[in-house]
Amino acid sequence: MRRRRLPALAAACLAPALRPVAAQAATGTGAGAVDERVLRIVAPIEIGGLDPARSGFIFTRMGVVETLLAADAEGRPVPALAERWSVDAAGLEWRFTLRPGLRFHDGSAVTPGAAVASLRRALADATALARAPVATLDVAGRDVVIRLARPFSILPAVLANYGSGILAPASYDAAGHVQAVIGTGPYRVLSITAPMRLEVERFDLWWGPRPEISRAIYLVAGQGEARAAMAESGQADLVFGLHPATMARLRRNPALEVRAVAIPRSRILKLNLASPFFDSLAERQALDLAIDRQGIATALLRNPSLAATQLLPPMTGDWHLADLPPAERDLPRARALLASAGWTPGPDGILRDRQGRRFRVVLTTYSTWPELPAIATALQAQFREIGVDVDVSIGNTSDIPRLHRDVTLELGLMSRNYALVPDPLGTILTDFAPQGSDWGAMHWTDPQLAAALARLEGATAPEERRALTQRASAILHEQRPVIPIAWSELAVAIGRRVGHVAIDPFETSYRLQDMRWREP
Amino acid sequence: MGGNAWRVLRPLLSRLGQAGLVALLVGCIGFALMHALPGDQAFRLAAERYGPDIVDARAAAAMRAELGLDRPLALQLLEWLGRVVRLDLGRSLVTGEPVIQELRVQLGYTALLAGMALPLSALIGLPLGIAAGLWRGRWPDHAVLSLAVLLRAVPAYALGLALMVLLSVRLRWLPPGGFEGWAELVLPSLTLALGLAAVSSRVARESVAAVAASPVLAFARWKGLSERDAVRRHGLRNAAIPVLAVLGLQLIGLVEGILIVETLFGWPGIGHALVHAIFARDVPLVQGTALIMGLGVVLLNAAVDLACLLIDPRRGRQAA
Amino acid sequence: MSGLAFGRRVAALPCARLAGAGLLLLLLGFGLVGPWLIEADPARQDLMASLAPPGARFLLGADHLGRSMLARLAHAVRLSFLLSGLTVAAAGLLGTALGLLAAWEGGWLDRGLSLLSDTVLALPGLLLVLLVIAFAPGQILPLAGGIALALWVEFFRVTRAQARSLLARPHVEAARLLGFGRAYILGHLILPELAPILFTLAGFGIGGVILTVATLSFISIGLKPPTAELGGMTSEMLPYLAEAPFQALLPSLFVALAVLACHLLAGGRPR
Repeated sequence: MRRRRLPALAAACLAPALRPVAAQAATGTGAGAVDERVLRIVAPIEIGGLDPARSGFIFTRMGVVETLLAADAEGRPVPALAERWSVDAAGLEWRFTLRPGLRFHDGSAVTPGAAVASLRRALADATALARAPVATLDVAGRDVVIRLARPFSILPAVLANYGSGILAPASYDAAGHVQAVIGTGPYRVLSITAPMRLEVERFDLWWGPRPEISRAIYLVAGQGEARAAMAESGQADLVFGLHPATMARLRRNPALEVRAVAIPRSRILKLNLASPFFDSLAERQALDLAIDRQGIATALLRNPSLAATQLLPPMTGDWHLADLPPAERDLPRARALLASAGWTPGPDGILRDRQGRRFRVVLTTYSTWPELPAIATALQAQFREIGVDVDVSIGNTSDIPRLHRDVTLELGLMSRNYALVPDPLGTILTDFAPQGSDWGAMHWTDPQLAAALARLEGATAPEERRALTQRASAILHEQRPVIPIAWSELAVAIGRRVGHVAIDPFETSYRLQDMRWREP
Repeated sequence: MGGNAWRVLRPLLSRLGQAGLVALLVGCIGFALMHALPGDQAFRLAAERYGPDIVDARAAAAMRAELGLDRPLALQLLEWLGRVVRLDLGRSLVTGEPVIQELRVQLGYTALLAGMALPLSALIGLPLGIAAGLWRGRWPDHAVLSLAVLLRAVPAYALGLALMVLLSVRLRWLPPGGFEGWAELVLPSLTLALGLAAVSSRVARESVAAVAASPVLAFARWKGLSERDAVRRHGLRNAAIPVLAVLGLQLIGLVEGILIVETLFGWPGIGHALVHAIFARDVPLVQGTALIMGLGVVLLNAAVDLACLLIDPRRGRQAA
Repeated sequence: MSGLAFGRRVAALPCARLAGAGLLLLLLGFGLVGPWLIEADPARQDLMASLAPPGARFLLGADHLGRSMLARLAHAVRLSFLLSGLTVAAAGLLGTALGLLAAWEGGWLDRGLSLLSDTVLALPGLLLVLLVIAFAPGQILPLAGGIALALWVEFFRVTRAQARSLLARPHVEAARLLGFGRAYILGHLILPELAPILFTLAGFGIGGVILTVATLSFISIGLKPPTAELGGMTSEMLPYLAEAPFQALLPSLFVALAVLACHLLAGGRPR
């Protein structure tokens, strides 16, 4: 407020008149002194609905919905609604014991039955939990008991995914649709103006220590420049989704702190290995060698260390191979590899194979992440230099899974989140399953990888897990079913008013409950 | 008396017929196009509902089954038309909320924006136009005209960007985004108003110039009224008619402007919703927003017809 | 919208037509001869020269991918004029032909076409275009077709109204009675009278289409990369607005200049 000039001040007085009626109906938390300060979070991702299976990530991030377990900064499972958990020797029966005295936001008690009901819904929808080999879900005293069909070591991580969030029975209408988000978290919903705005207030019956921030607003701003300017004008306390170019500018602003945290997300090229263009390893290696990762990372992402020499970034621990040589661009070798695969340059400089077919492929990408079209355009020019003609098609996020199903995808540039489940194994298991996957390999199987992953699913001994993980990463690196381009960082601009901000690399929570105002 | 009522009713009835046609056209075009579009609808919807990280074939299959997208097209269209008649626009395929409810929220924001932009454009455009009309052929006229010509040549998004850079990034007077208070309303409505003022100043100038040169005003002056009073009493009323008539056309421009301005500033109104719904293949929402926008234009035109009739009853007689 | 009334006003500006013609000639020269003269490939990237300021190597600087702004602008201007010319030609032919048909035939055909045009007019043009181009995103012809679908109405209404009054004139009626062919009457008596007003409409139409295409590209519903398009270039360069304002604002300046040239030329015609 301090930074605002006169017109904004006048606006602040008039603002309530503009609010939707729902917000007016809000009741106070009953606390003694009323703290008027409202924390504002601005992000690009819209609120797509109330169902935790779908737009649930917004509600877990804002501290409205909680899961049985959560993840710490390294992705290890920690207690949340469940205060402890155990698994039998066979790795099949898991027991999660709920904290005593838990309350939903409507005041009703959190029972194991309510938790099981929410988990059953998750099992029936397209969630991470639905991919786990769950056989039965039961209640036993204060425990939720999950029986598996086969050992599945990352069940705790899957339960920390937002899709496994626990809602009160009163959240659902008669038809089973979510009509209100009644969760258990430190904050409860005050008003939702989907898809643009969510306002929450502190929930005084939460099980944890009382948070200092009493009210917060999640605001969607689609335009990157608008988001940056909202950080600069002091209109927002936390701004997510900063463009690399604006980050540099915001860093020079003394009123802001800009933090970039490495996250387990990679920009990768998905290849159709059944197509005549990518069926041989030589062709894939040639493409790999033609990519100027350093240039892309420096010019477009403004951080040379994001150039991806392998699929998973260093912060994923065992999934990262420590002693790989850096990936250098090598056009002569790329050309030689292509020649060995039977591709020779035609009169127009584009490669042709022995049947005279031109090396022309469509690269499909989408603009949900604004850097992807720019990277696609850069790749287009770089592949052109080795005689590969690329046609870029920019569409919707869903084009990649759709074209995968149609089997018409040739090349896809995408941003893949390996932290959907806080253990990357959860995502790797589906992405590189033998039958291929929408966001992973296409027409590629490797028996050794399949064996390693299958053993990882059940393995519990740390040493064995480490060896298997490294083995799986090495196979992915050698075979290149997908070609890594660049890793990612989560950039946040933090305003001066707020302190104790911890950025969760797994993006499960904003940890509003830990934040403090800088001035009392 | 009966004749009088008919004079008022006739243009309104014809507008009503137009409204019905617009509804039908929007409904059918929207429907036909959305179903012929490339990109499986269920996948698009899943992308919006599940978010970009988790959309996959399973999510799409869940969407398809839940929404009954497999039924015959003709059946879906008939169903939609039947429901429109009962003012039921269905539920948004993405959020699952009733379309009418979403429209109510969006329309509120759009009305705020338009409600602010129109007076603002009048505030900017009319004085300039009147000044130009009174000093026609001299420098104020040329200056206002040049300004209007320039403003019309600049794309609305560039105007918005320029204002955003100047007023919020450089001078820090106004917030660049958001939709929570009056301050956030200023930038988008100013962008919209400047575009509109280019048109309204011209119309005002034209009318004032015509009236100023007409015998009515000469007579008023001869009657001994001062120049100011003459313009106020006789000039403005006569000048108002063409201004109103062009206002109708201008309002269509307003609707287009709203699409761009709302998208640029992230203002959660109906234009923003329409662009989004098209991306997401949310057919009911596309039809709903397009319908409301089309009907809105017809309604505004009808209001303009009516206003012209009230200001100048002779027009009705001529038309009849 | 309402290009005609606006045109009458523009004519009041001294030397408007001359200025418009000069500006248009410059831009057309840049767009038509430029791509051929400038050797740089508009798609050629040099990531190390990202956002290079104007200088010896890049006369107008480089964009975020290190592509020559000069080459890209030349190609974009050419595309803008080609696309808008094509669109206006299609809309003008369709609208004029239907207008003449309605005026000549009268009766139910006239009423039907007028009803259709009224209905289309009641729909915001951009709405129609948005719906149509969703068919084939990123392609030029559907884009032109979609815009033409909204634009023909203006030509239709003006042609129909003018042709009706022209057809009622004694010398035209006489020619009809004397048995002159439809082609002769339309070609020799009606169209020459219509030509000036159609010219003005076309001029404003081209300006309008340039604006529409740039706007659509700006909200990323335009053409696919690496096509250089003025609106798309602006939206690509948006994140770099603070770092390279010159390169980011240049495309918008070209849009404004092109539209201005069209308006001045079309509106500045002496009557």
